[in-house]
Amino acid sequence: MKVFNDAATRVQCDSITRWKKEGKPVVGYTCSYTPAEIFYAADILPVRLRGIETDGMEVGDTYFGPFICSFPKCILQLAGKGKFSFLDGAIITPGCDGMRRLDECWRKAGEDFDGIVPDYFYYFDVPHKSENHGMAWYIEEVKELIKSVEKHFNVSITNEKLTAAIKAFNKGRRLLNEIENLRSKDEIVVSGTDVFAATIAGTVMPRDEYTKELKKWVTALKKRKTSLSKNKHRVMLVGSISDEIDLFELIEDTNKAIIAGENLCFGIRYEGNEIKEDGDPIEALADHYLGTSVCPRMYGKYKERLAMLKERIERSQAAGVIMQNIRFCDLHGAENALFERDLEAIGIPCLRVEREYGPHIDAGRMKLRINAFLERIDAKNDHKLSEAVAVSA
Amino acid sequence: MRPEIQEYNYDWMMGSTLKAAAALPTGTKKETELTYRYIPYYKNVAQSFYSAGAPGVQTLELLAKYYENILTAHAQGKKICATTFCNSPVILYAMDIVPVTFEILTAIGAMVWKRGMFDYMDFCCETGMPETSCSSQRGAQGAVLSGLSENIDFVICDTPGVCDTNANAFAYLSEYLDKPFFQLNYPSCIGDDRSQKYHVDDYKEMIKFAERHSGNKLDYDRLAEVLEEVNKQDAMIADLEDMLMLKPTPVPPIYNLALYAGRFCFSGHPQYTKLLESMVKTAKGYADAGISGLKSKEEKLRVFMCYIDHYTVNVNFYNYMEERGIANVGSILSRNFRDNNLYVKDMPGSSYSVDMSSPEAMLDTIAQMNARLPMVRSIRGPYDKKGMWLEESLACAKMYNADCMIYNGTPGCRNTWGMVKPFARDIEKHGYPCHIMNDDAFDDRVESWDATRERLDEFFKVRGLL
Repeated sequence: MKVFNDAATRVQCDSITRWKKEGKPVVGYTCSYTPAEIFYAADILPVRLRGIETDGMEVGDTYFGPFICSFPKCILQLAGKGKFSFLDGAIITPGCDGMRRLDECWRKAGEDFDGIVPDYFYYFDVPHKSENHGMAWYIEEVKELIKSVEKHFNVSITNEKLTAAIKAFNKGRRLLNEIENLRSKDEIVVSGTDVFAATIAGTVMPRDEYTKELKKWVTALKKRKTSLSKNKHRVMLVGSISDEIDLFELIEDTNKAIIAGENLCFGIRYEGNEIKEDGDPIEALADHYLGTSVCPRMYGKYKERLAMLKERIERSQAAGVIMQNIRFCDLHGAENALFERDLEAIGIPCLRVEREYGPHIDAGRMKLRINAFLERIDAKNDHKLSEAVAVSA
Repeated sequence: MRPEIQEYNYDWMMGSTLKAAAALPTGTKKETELTYRYIPYYKNVAQSFYSAGAPGVQTLELLAKYYENILTAHAQGKKICATTFCNSPVILYAMDIVPVTFEILTAIGAMVWKRGMFDYMDFCCETGMPETSCSSQRGAQGAVLSGLSENIDFVICDTPGVCDTNANAFAYLSEYLDKPFFQLNYPSCIGDDRSQKYHVDDYKEMIKFAERHSGNKLDYDRLAEVLEEVNKQDAMIADLEDMLMLKPTPVPPIYNLALYAGRFCFSGHPQYTKLLESMVKTAKGYADAGISGLKSKEEKLRVFMCYIDHYTVNVNFYNYMEERGIANVGSILSRNFRDNNLYVKDMPGSSYSVDMSSPEAMLDTIAQMNARLPMVRSIRGPYDKKGMWLEESLACAKMYNADCMIYNGTPGCRNTWGMVKPFARDIEKHGYPCHIMNDDAFDDRVESWDATRERLDEFFKVRGLL
């Protein structure tokens, strides 16, 4: 777990430092629509870019406007402060308007701060629909990205290497799925915080090292007997992008709740699904990364996302759902409102809360809201109990 | 929402107001003066349009007609489609579907009422839309969500890839009301074969959707008629654009508003042709006389609004320009990027042409035209890339002899607020003083008009422009 915690809580974790010492390149990417397998196939370390360890916003606020989510601002802040100096390349994706403008802001900041823009800086244009021409566009984008990586890094990315990469990534995905199975049992033996840390680690660590560590950890988890969920509410955490362990800790430190599942961009929702290992590997990647997408940027797919969320709630036996959105993240903000309407209608308590990404200056407020929500679930359970007693009497 | 607001159908209320306003100048002076006493809050905006002459009154008539179409659609067996300003209504008219363009309806309410669209905007948030979402949709959307407008039948938007808050508003609406939804999606580039093909493929899917939900099959003869009307309109728009280049420009500031509001409401419809004819005639008169279109007839400054104008109560912004002797040489909304405009010469691949030789050619025409509507054309990709916002703004500023540029939007414009600071810096590097307005174009509560005006004055003074 130590290695996962290191990877989850430090921008340049030990694994990245070791990789760099071997003289091998690292490419950062901003969005879950980027197939990390492409880089693995070229012996390049793909690292999902994050905004943790930010202690100010002077760079982020200089280039981004005031009405922008704090997540891309934090990434820019770190870039401006040289925290991403280990990057040999960066891939920017139009995940949302804030994230896509990281492209210009980072490049323009590079005119003022020497050396903060990696030599390889690529805009990966992901469509907002996965049907027909949307899928065809994405496949072409993947092919263009491959060509570009081959040219810049002087590497060769063959279909065989891509298939091998898919297989290597799938090993980790299967293990994460095993963790989901463990969490779905009546007694949960692992905290949501630890599971999330392990999931995030998978987005920054060298994949083979990650899979090896994950396997050891899953084996150990399977032997655990002590329940961590006893007398606690099982809750699910959903909403805006989050890679903050603190947020999970904030909820679990109440000692009244355990996070039994999450539906977050950095969470298991993507990592848990396997990719087809036979057939054309580029099409398989496209089917997975674009085709099974559950992000609200894919407009008009709310019902699919709701169905998936319900399935996850059922699987995790969550008694309530905490929905958070970062301020100015309208996509999740609006969708959380719809989720709240539809889940409350079927008796699932929901908490909808807006927050800032980054240093948890509003931890007190969040704690208050979370505690109040957990009390609401208590009250609901008490009511159920009294009803049951009344019926039996 | 205040109870008195809930007493009236929003479309009826606005439609009646505009209809009465358009009819007012036909009365005697005494009748008009008497009526003003009964409409103290609406008097100023009405007078602003009347003072623009025949085109001003025709703008009111056009907007009144727009509401009338909405109000009578269902009785005539037509379907109503909620859509956005950057999705051309041409195809909807060709298919006998009535468009409801949210941004236009919000702007009208914001300009006409003292309290603007506040109640509707806030109702929208009460249902769950974040307050940080774009006010331009939230106004009309609130009226629809509250059931105080005509029921919509389906939703088509074309902003995914261009503006999240816009697309999100329509996606939310469709889910909230359980209405069918279609999104046209734009890639981040334009003018290359690959993106051109994507536009057409996507557009064809949209037509299938519209056919399915309206019950009307696209009639290509009817499409040809509508495109013929577009052809006429584009020629007149190009005339107005040419006259905007004259110094002093004979085009009054409020004509810009009429030009694009008309286009967003009635592109391909004879109602808009009539308005354009009137505007061209009046502006040509000024041009022939060699005088400015400003009421003072003295052009002191030429401003290019690189994004949108300001629409809060009493069309204050346009009146302010008149008062200060500022010529409005247009905004991102004014340009249509038809190939007969001079400004497209410097931007290869940026324009569309009209070809009605076959159904396929017409589909290509309409898809490429749609892809070149404001915002979806140049805010889709990184601002400093080929054909995008910087190139477009500089080309227009140069072509129209602008003295400076002003950015105005809403806090919901994440697509531009994300990079407007480096954008403005690049604009300044090219020699154009650039001001970023921190208000909301549709909501005076974000920044009062008085404060906005002071900041504009400060900018003009500090930069030695006025």
